[in-house]
Amino acid sequence: MREAIRLIKRLIGGALMVLIVATFTFFLVRLMPGNPVQAAYNTLITRGMTPVQAANEVRVMYGFMPHESLWAQYVHYLNQLIHFNLGQSISYEGVSVLHIVLSAAPWTITLVLSGVVASFLLGVTAGVVAAMKRSSGMGSVLTVSGSLLHGIPQFVMALLLAFVFTTLWPIFPFGAPYGGALTPGFNLPFIGSLAFHAVLPVVAYALSSYGGWLLTMKSSVVSVMGDDFVLAAELRGLKPSIRFGYIARNAILPLFTIFALSLGFMFGGSVFIENIFDYNGLGNLLLTSINNRDYPLMTGAFLLITIAVILSNIVADFLYTAVDPRIRRP
Amino acid sequence: MNASEPYSAAVGAGITIRNLTVTYHTDRGIFPALKDVSLDIRPQTITGFIGESGSGKTTLAMAIMNAIRTPGLIASGSIYTDGVGDVLKLQGESLRRVHGQHFGFVFQASSNSLNPLKRIGAQLLDLGRSHGIKDPRILLKEARALAERMGMDGDRVLTSYQHELSGGMRQRAGIIFALVLRAKVVILDEPTTALDMLSQQAVLEIIRQIHEERGLTSIIITHDMGVMAEIVQRVVVLYAGRVVEEGPTQDLLQRPRHPYTKGLIDAIPRITGDLAEAKPLAGSPPDLATVPTQGCVFRDRCSLRRPVCDLVEPLAQPAHGDGLVTCHGVNAHD
Repeated sequence: MREAIRLIKRLIGGALMVLIVATFTFFLVRLMPGNPVQAAYNTLITRGMTPVQAANEVRVMYGFMPHESLWAQYVHYLNQLIHFNLGQSISYEGVSVLHIVLSAAPWTITLVLSGVVASFLLGVTAGVVAAMKRSSGMGSVLTVSGSLLHGIPQFVMALLLAFVFTTLWPIFPFGAPYGGALTPGFNLPFIGSLAFHAVLPVVAYALSSYGGWLLTMKSSVVSVMGDDFVLAAELRGLKPSIRFGYIARNAILPLFTIFALSLGFMFGGSVFIENIFDYNGLGNLLLTSINNRDYPLMTGAFLLITIAVILSNIVADFLYTAVDPRIRRP
Repeated sequence: MNASEPYSAAVGAGITIRNLTVTYHTDRGIFPALKDVSLDIRPQTITGFIGESGSGKTTLAMAIMNAIRTPGLIASGSIYTDGVGDVLKLQGESLRRVHGQHFGFVFQASSNSLNPLKRIGAQLLDLGRSHGIKDPRILLKEARALAERMGMDGDRVLTSYQHELSGGMRQRAGIIFALVLRAKVVILDEPTTALDMLSQQAVLEIIRQIHEERGLTSIIITHDMGVMAEIVQRVVVLYAGRVVEEGPTQDLLQRPRHPYTKGLIDAIPRITGDLAEAKPLAGSPPDLATVPTQGCVFRDRCSLRRPVCDLVEPLAQPAHGDGLVTCHGVNAHD
């Protein structure tokens, strides 16, 4: 019950955050040089529309009238937003932004989530090993691998992987999310092809953040190993496996906060990775919408990424409460 | 010892330490934290280790459990304890089983000796699983009984997390962990530091009662002479990694032989009498890096210093009846 109330509070907080970001993007678009709304209106006029037609068309695209006051436009925009109407795309004529954005989202979410989970598991495990064996050669190799990979930006990593594994050694396919001859749907060849094509982008996501997990986990494990209760566990003769569990669970705590932050970072990185591997996800959508000055689509994509990041933060927050009893409020 | 029967009647075990040397390996060199220590810890007795910081009292306790951590190293010596044999020869699984089943270690109240993420009951079950307890209910019942014995609500303690307990309760929870497997030797590290006066009294009283009820061999590490006088039956005075004096508490406190022990006793302020009567011990506590390698380690702070002290390290000679003192300036037949 208490948890439910907390969840509701957090969701309300999250909704407020979304509202603030939506407001921000709304005014940002309005304040951009060249006034895109006015520009769209003018373009329609030059195409021979009457001012009334053009104004209506703009209203459909943006959700508000071009000649209204800024405040009235804002209220209109919010009203549309509450009804999940994000307006219509300019570049894909006649298609609602919501539809485009929602069909792009699964690509991004699948890639980002598998990337995050893969890098988290890999990095945390390697971090524990690096901490336990920190005086041996293996520990040093792991630590150095972490520092090196941590230093490589995502887009460089993606390009490097694409070059090495599709051009130098053409092991993995390139340039599409699945084999062209296959019919999308719930059939084994299609899903297999999907997974096979996803290997490189997921690895790109995973490798770019693996180093961060490794280094953070390593220092966390080292500091926990110096805690009193670890010595106590040893002097009480606890089994090594139980002791390891004590250390690991305590050491992983600070990583939950970073986990949430890293999701946001990963969504940001999707702009490069989806472009390089040609996935029609949110990142790519954002890029094309910017190129095409498709402002409604741009705000829509922004908004969805924002919601994803805020939601993942809430999830991380609740995970944290679940694992750390000290955070739970009486 | 028999691991499958950890609930055999608890009877204190004696400990015989011979020629124990523990060294610390640091960037500045190798320093002896304990030098050639030979000592008998009598069964079913409360023995106190007293000395300033750096005197080696905690190192000695750790060495008794063969639990010296890097950069420390047990260089030589043997430690026999009844029912186990030479503890220093144990390693791996057999050493792990001795920790908890033969030796119970109680941490300071100020230290967080419990996993902060698990309820105390769950940690007790981990302990039971580690030591092959087949019926966890017996273990929990025993723990609950111990908690009640120490004036706490057993169920509440078992369902609590560490952060939900006060310092005194944590200390007592630590005692439960040390006793629940029926350890024969219980070592308490500064059991009263970080506790207020009333809790100190309560904890000491509990230690004394449980010690008697169970016929334990208890070791208390402390720098508090008051604790010594109150509960300890035999005192071991350590200075710079050497046992300088050992004997029954009453005799040792009333007739201290070693100038260091005298200094420690004189440094205690009395409730009756002037505060100025308490004389702080001259000089600074021993530092492993600056301890002289030849002669007596205490000579720079000593009132009985004579030429031989610069050259020869004093040997232990009998004192206090069945005790010992290590000083050139003391005549054993006084």
